[in-house]
Amino acid sequence: MWAVIKKELKSYFSTPIGYIFIGVFLIAFSISFYFTVLQYGNVNFEYIYYSLPTILVLAFIIPLLTMRSFAEERKTGTEQLLLTSPLSITKITLGKFFAASIIAIITELITLMFFAILCFFGMPHLSTALATLLGFLLFMMAYIAFGMLASSITENQIIAGIISIAFFIITWVLPDFNSSLQSFSFINMFYKYTQGQIDIADTITFITFTITCLLLTITVMQRRKTAK
Amino acid sequence: MVYFGPNGAGKSTTMNMITGYIEPTSGTVIIDGMNMAKKPQKAKKQIGYMPEGVPLYTDLTVKEFVTYMAEIKKVDRKIRKQKVDEIIRQTGLKEVERKLTKTLSRGYKQRVSMAGALVGDPKILILDEPTVGLDPKQITEIRNLIKELGKTHTIILSSHILSEVSQICNKVIIINQGKIIAVDTPENLERKVAKNNSIYVTVEDPEDKMKTIQEKITDIEKISFIQEDEDKTKQYRIEGKEGVDLRKTLFTELAKENITIFEMKKADTTLEDAFIQLIDEGGNNHVGSN
Repeated sequence: MWAVIKKELKSYFSTPIGYIFIGVFLIAFSISFYFTVLQYGNVNFEYIYYSLPTILVLAFIIPLLTMRSFAEERKTGTEQLLLTSPLSITKITLGKFFAASIIAIITELITLMFFAILCFFGMPHLSTALATLLGFLLFMMAYIAFGMLASSITENQIIAGIISIAFFIITWVLPDFNSSLQSFSFINMFYKYTQGQIDIADTITFITFTITCLLLTITVMQRRKTAK
Repeated sequence: MVYFGPNGAGKSTTMNMITGYIEPTSGTVIIDGMNMAKKPQKAKKQIGYMPEGVPLYTDLTVKEFVTYMAEIKKVDRKIRKQKVDEIIRQTGLKEVERKLTKTLSRGYKQRVSMAGALVGDPKILILDEPTVGLDPKQITEIRNLIKELGKTHTIILSSHILSEVSQICNKVIIINQGKIIAVDTPENLERKVAKNNSIYVTVEDPEDKMKTIQEKITDIEKISFIQEDEDKTKQYRIEGKEGVDLRKTLFTELAKENITIFEMKKADTTLEDAFIQLIDEGGNNHVGSN
């Protein structure tokens, strides 16, 4: 599994994808920082995370990380190398998932820089900030897992990307149609973390969703062996 | 050993099943006593696979690629570096080891793919169309490499190029439409099909005596005229009776008849003939097995 993680990370940074992901996210984050802190004089770190630019950009950059994962391997045929190696499909899938998650973690760590800046101006709430970071990470991991599932069902990266973005937007706007769909929205779930509360139910929902997507990905990959 | 058959015969599919990339709908794959469906990890360790179309990770350098293959094939960490170096040297990739695989020429890519298959000391090497898309020089190089590797590994390769088969393999499985048509050595296959005992001659025959020559040489089974060339020479195909070499008789007898031989050639059966004949006969006829 380590081999896959290492290779995936190497790929992220030997192609522009890793840099684009981190760079674009930080640009959005900075814009958000500018509006919340400089315009409105708000020194709450969590407000920068829970803002339109940050979340909107997330919808488009997470698929960047995940859309290649299986689709490209299938298209170029390198899938044959992976699947005929003694590595199990579970390890391959987890390896790819953790590699993408590591990029997400790196990005979050860089945003701590903004937290440090805030400390100069006021007293941001540390525990709320940590809860926000945890919530955001769970949020991203759930989305990454879904993105990988999308990538495993097609050999076209673009389709995989569009499925992921569509999913994100649907879960985003769902509560607007009907308030009973509130609990299906990842963004609403994430909102509670930014209020400083780590809700057990939400945490479990994020984690179960992530695991379900990973299991489905593994199943899809295994099924493909027989359905050709 | 080689899998050999026309396009779409099922060569790659068979290989994909052997390597565990796809599961057979019926039957089992047993590698060195290990069932692919039950112990895939162990069975896969015995195999080095070079898929068709040489898929490579284009973002990695040659060395990184081979190292990655060593890692996913679970080569022991202590000897990994040394093994990777050894294989890079063996496949002649030393001077390009720092280049990205996407910048390499087709011939080198093929070598990198081969290196990837060799990693982890597999007992069985499975090469799917290893010489497709190469120039003649590269083909010779790859073939020599395969021959070299054949001394220490069991190699199964697929091909639809006949000259390749007879050069590098000692056992041929001919398949067509998913069915095995023949299993044998290339020599035996040639011999089995080599029923004809024909000679091609080009002669100058002003008195047109060739038509009656059969009466003089009783060993001739059949004479057939092929064509007349611009320089008034005629080509014939002469079929002798079984087990008779007509060449000497023809040479002396035709001279007596005032027919001048310009060219005389024994029709040799090649694997090509065997192949075409076997494919034509269809999958119904099994030509022996050993």
